[in-house]
Amino acid sequence: MSRPSRFGLNRTSVRLSLQFAFLYAILSAVMFVGAYWMTDFEVRDWIEDRMKYDVGNLQQVLDTRGADALRERVALLSEFSFENERIYQLRDALGAHLTGTVIDTSQLKARSFLPVAALDLAVPTDPEVSGYWIRVDPIGPFTLVQGTGDNVIAEVMEALTIALVGGYILVISAGLFIGQFVGARTERRIGRILETLEDVSRGALARRIATPEGDRDDLSRVSSAINATLAQVQTLLESQKQIATDIAHDLRTPLQRLRQRLERMINSGDDQPDLHAALGETETLIETFKALLRIAQIESGVQHQHFVPVDLASIARDVVEIYQPVAEDEQQSLTAALPTGPVQISGDPALLGQLLSNLIENAIRHCPEGATLQVTLESGPQGPVLCVSDDGPGIPAAERDKVFRRFYRIEQSRTTEGHGLGLPLVKAICTLHGATVQLIDNAPGLRVCVTFTKGESA
Amino acid sequence: MRILVVEDDIETADYICSSLGAQGHVALHAADGKDGYMQALDNDFDVMVIDRMLPRLDGLSLVKSIRIADVPTPIIILSAMGGLNDRVEGLEAGADDYLVKPFAFSELHARISALMRRPPMQSEETVMKVGDLELDLVRHSVQRAGQPITLQPREYRLLIYLMRNTGKVLTRTMLLEAVWDFHFDPQTNVVETHISRLRNKIDKPFDASLIHTVRGAGYSLHV
Repeated sequence: MSRPSRFGLNRTSVRLSLQFAFLYAILSAVMFVGAYWMTDFEVRDWIEDRMKYDVGNLQQVLDTRGADALRERVALLSEFSFENERIYQLRDALGAHLTGTVIDTSQLKARSFLPVAALDLAVPTDPEVSGYWIRVDPIGPFTLVQGTGDNVIAEVMEALTIALVGGYILVISAGLFIGQFVGARTERRIGRILETLEDVSRGALARRIATPEGDRDDLSRVSSAINATLAQVQTLLESQKQIATDIAHDLRTPLQRLRQRLERMINSGDDQPDLHAALGETETLIETFKALLRIAQIESGVQHQHFVPVDLASIARDVVEIYQPVAEDEQQSLTAALPTGPVQISGDPALLGQLLSNLIENAIRHCPEGATLQVTLESGPQGPVLCVSDDGPGIPAAERDKVFRRFYRIEQSRTTEGHGLGLPLVKAICTLHGATVQLIDNAPGLRVCVTFTKGESA
Repeated sequence: MRILVVEDDIETADYICSSLGAQGHVALHAADGKDGYMQALDNDFDVMVIDRMLPRLDGLSLVKSIRIADVPTPIIILSAMGGLNDRVEGLEAGADDYLVKPFAFSELHARISALMRRPPMQSEETVMKVGDLELDLVRHSVQRAGQPITLQPREYRLLIYLMRNTGKVLTRTMLLEAVWDFHFDPQTNVVETHISRLRNKIDKPFDASLIHTVRGAGYSLHV
């Protein structure tokens, strides 16, 4: 199973973080435009108010002190405006310049804006001022033209930009960090779920996903649901196994009695051929039940407790030696290519012997006269690989998985003897030892390979 | 011979006892573990046949109790479970042989016979003789009528087992267990093949056969 790379885009956490960052960027931009527009509006409103107050103040100067005081006052305001933040001009009733800065209102742009370049200012202007917001008001018979530099807006916008961009960077990095953290945690939990499911698929049906107490989020609910499903599957498989075991157990006594009665009849001199045939059938029945029980017992895994260090090479040597004469009698040749030194694994020697015997017997029984059979033991990348190869009829590719089913017989071998439980037993022994069994096309013939995993069967 | 049969299934017990009776043995029956224990201690038996699953005291505990009471009588355990470790557990408890139910009476009888009158192990016995067949355990040599015979290691082991049990019927299963350490039923003629190989060397070149086939039971080596 391929695992997502640590920072790959296929990792949910990274993808979520990036999506979040993108969404936040768009939201920030919208917010920025909105805030800019609002600020611009509000600041201008405030500037207008300030200029209105000035008009009010100057009106009072005119009303209480007279026209000369007003002229003096505007001149002072105009002369002592630091860096030209404010500009003033007083015009007479005919619109002629009286005092202050000359402001050419004919050059006014939209929204009463006058750029700095359009003015002839004596004192250097604040570099942040690009132009002035202009307001024209009557004060008695005079006209007051005043402007406020737009640097206020620039400053406010600057502050706003810093706040929004800084906030954006802060939120995105915090988001990515939290996303990574939460994501990694989620990743680990998904990893645990995957590990558990892989273990279960390898046959460890009792494995469950650990769900911490009190943790009731979506992953915990998924884990609980998977656990419940696994429990259900385990119960079903166990009851299926139990049925097989129960049937076999419960039939022991009746089968024993049946055989006894048949034996008794034969022994008492009743020598009918039917009786011998019935006894023969009983024997077959018993053999099938024995094999079924054995598979059920091996599958239960209790045999693990009886594992000892075993030398696969010596087991293979012994079993091959036992079957060589059997193969010779069938006009077949059985050879072995085994390492001279020991090949140690942890296992049940009797079951491993039976495994190899079953594979060799299958080859002998399904191959015609003159066939060549070979047993090899090699060291593979994962561990020792024990193979039985032949150049017989082989097994069609479509049937290779099915032959491990109980009682499955491929069409061409229906006539040969056997209970159809040989390969299921091989498979059960392999699973018990953490080994895998594969049927490979030997072109021609069949090659059955059992791959042991070093350390896993310990 | 006196044989104790501890078995809770009455029909099976009846069959075993009457069949043993027909073979000229005296078979006594106990229906549960406690009764079996009392009888095992009260009477002198040549062999005891004990079922593994018994009411009141299970078979394994019964065997252990009998051994603790210092009764050395050979014991055959009958197992209804066909368990992978039943054989080992039975032997560890102190039984001498083990048989899986359902079994053929001939199998049980052969095993009882093999256990009875077990010749005392004579460690000094290094040469075994049956008729004109001689096997030297020290020199690993076999000869018949003075002619040396070369045997493969497995054939040699098979011959030793046959000669140690001269005159007794040895079943296919007994041979598989003792000679090849196979505790399962092979689907090919392993036993027949090896017996036939041995016959070709031991019997064929000579006038009289020593290895006899006992129909429906097994093989026996005798003059």
